[in-house]
Amino acid sequence: MKNQANPWLTNNLWVLGLGMLPAIALIGVLLYFTAWAFAFSFTDLALVGRKSVEWEWVGFENFERLFTRRGFLESLWTTVIFVFFSAIVGQSVLGFLLAAALRGSRSTLRSVVEVCIMLGWLLPDIVAAFLWSATTAQTGLINQLIIRPLGLPPVNFINDYALPVVTIANIWKGTAWSYLLFSAALDSVSREVVEAAKVDGATPLQRIWLVQLPIIRPHIATNMLFITIWTFTYFPLIFAMTGGGPGRQTETLAIFLYNQSFSRGNLGFGSAISVAMLVIVGCLSLIYLRMLREPK
Amino acid sequence: MEANATHSRLTAIALSFMAVIWISPFSWLVLNAFNPLSTGQLEIPRAVGLDNFGLAVSGNAGRQFLNSMLIAAGTATLSVIVGISAAYPLSRLKIPGRNAFLWTLVLLRMLPSAGVLVPLYFAAQRTGLLNQLGVIIALTILNLPFTLLLLKNFFDTVPIELEEAAYVEGASLLQIITRIVLPLSRAGIAVVWFFSFTGAWNEFLLPLIFARVQDAFPMSVGLYAAFGQQGAINYGFLTAFSIIYAAPAVGVYFLLRRNMNTGFAGVGVKG
Repeated sequence: MKNQANPWLTNNLWVLGLGMLPAIALIGVLLYFTAWAFAFSFTDLALVGRKSVEWEWVGFENFERLFTRRGFLESLWTTVIFVFFSAIVGQSVLGFLLAAALRGSRSTLRSVVEVCIMLGWLLPDIVAAFLWSATTAQTGLINQLIIRPLGLPPVNFINDYALPVVTIANIWKGTAWSYLLFSAALDSVSREVVEAAKVDGATPLQRIWLVQLPIIRPHIATNMLFITIWTFTYFPLIFAMTGGGPGRQTETLAIFLYNQSFSRGNLGFGSAISVAMLVIVGCLSLIYLRMLREPK
Repeated sequence: MEANATHSRLTAIALSFMAVIWISPFSWLVLNAFNPLSTGQLEIPRAVGLDNFGLAVSGNAGRQFLNSMLIAAGTATLSVIVGISAAYPLSRLKIPGRNAFLWTLVLLRMLPSAGVLVPLYFAAQRTGLLNQLGVIIALTILNLPFTLLLLKNFFDTVPIELEEAAYVEGASLLQIITRIVLPLSRAGIAVVWFFSFTGAWNEFLLPLIFARVQDAFPMSVGLYAAFGQQGAINYGFLTAFSIIYAAPAVGVYFLLRRNMNTGFAGVGVKG
């Protein structure tokens, strides 16, 4: 047993226990708040007005409304598209390609590219939202540099292609995380294995696909898990860029939740949305964790 | 060999192109910030000056900068201290229910933070914590699952044999932790601190709801409020303010850059 062999731990159990107390207390508070949100989802509690004081239990009514009223399912679909293209396709594939390509590059180029990508990630959400609104505006960079020289009328991207624009903005912002993680993962693949594959005549593509990718599969699963969770509940960038509009084109679940809870004041319904989001992300995570565990 | 050289040159060109695309949106920010006559359009400024920056630091910005610094550094430090003191026992002891506890943490990471905003607000209101300290505590609570998981992973990589050897030499628990465990996981701790710092620095929703008076606004809320002040938008001010706001996170990254790459190796494998 590990414990018996480590007297510096077993002799100080109460000190260690004491050290854990603050964290346990804070996690407990978080659990308590979560339970509170669960409870709200069965009420018609409102932010203001009579219902904020004289709320009632309404059973599963809020959850029925998720499916019977317009809004939730549309937002869910928007979120799925947003997560799939910006996180899974954009950030991880681009992050992996960059990590793989930069491994062989000279160190100056590597540093320059790394810093450029990191700048997007380090930029506060609100500033990033300003940047992308300006870049894709009618007088913005894309129109000035590409559309107008081609003799085409300027396009108001942020209005006409809102969802693609926020997707690209999120790829721009989030790729650095995947890049850093894959970069560290590729470092852990031993050089000998790759060299051996090279000697055996594997093409570069085969070396990546058949040798490196299977080895770093746990890292891929971890990365997917993190970025899916983050992107699914990601709020500030889209909120500051479009506020969910035009219409409802970019109203992801996080925005829908915010609008319902705080703009319309339906705290009960809003809580039902967060519970539904929790369930969906939980199911997705189980899939990834299976990927993580499954023996080769 | 010839084909290989062409290949790597092509890769280099593609990568440089990539970097240029990545950096190009910043052109608007920089051109407007250094243009005293800025109109919010993308244009080459006819005059270059620091007037906008002067404007940006003159008003409430200094105060807001301090507020942001207090919130970000406070959250990061509190998260790391609470995280370390719990992650070390979690990593070393076979506590019954440890796995259940860790799974709870994973689950908590999935929560949309807007979902617990209302309970957080009510609780802060009742305890009189609708202020900076409240924001720090609330952000620490929201950060803690992630912090704890990462730190535990980093401590798992510290070989227990070293601690054994130190114990045999007569070191106490405190000495083992401060002289061996913490120095060896320094990179990991730096990464966790940095994540918490930037997360809190960027946080917008929570301070907006918690900070009731203008004096308590951090920069994120200040920036949002400056957008559309007096009807017209002063783009010069806005862009200069944005650059000042973005600078610390970038600065902290470069300070910790060497640690970051090592630290990231620990993020993988056991989310």
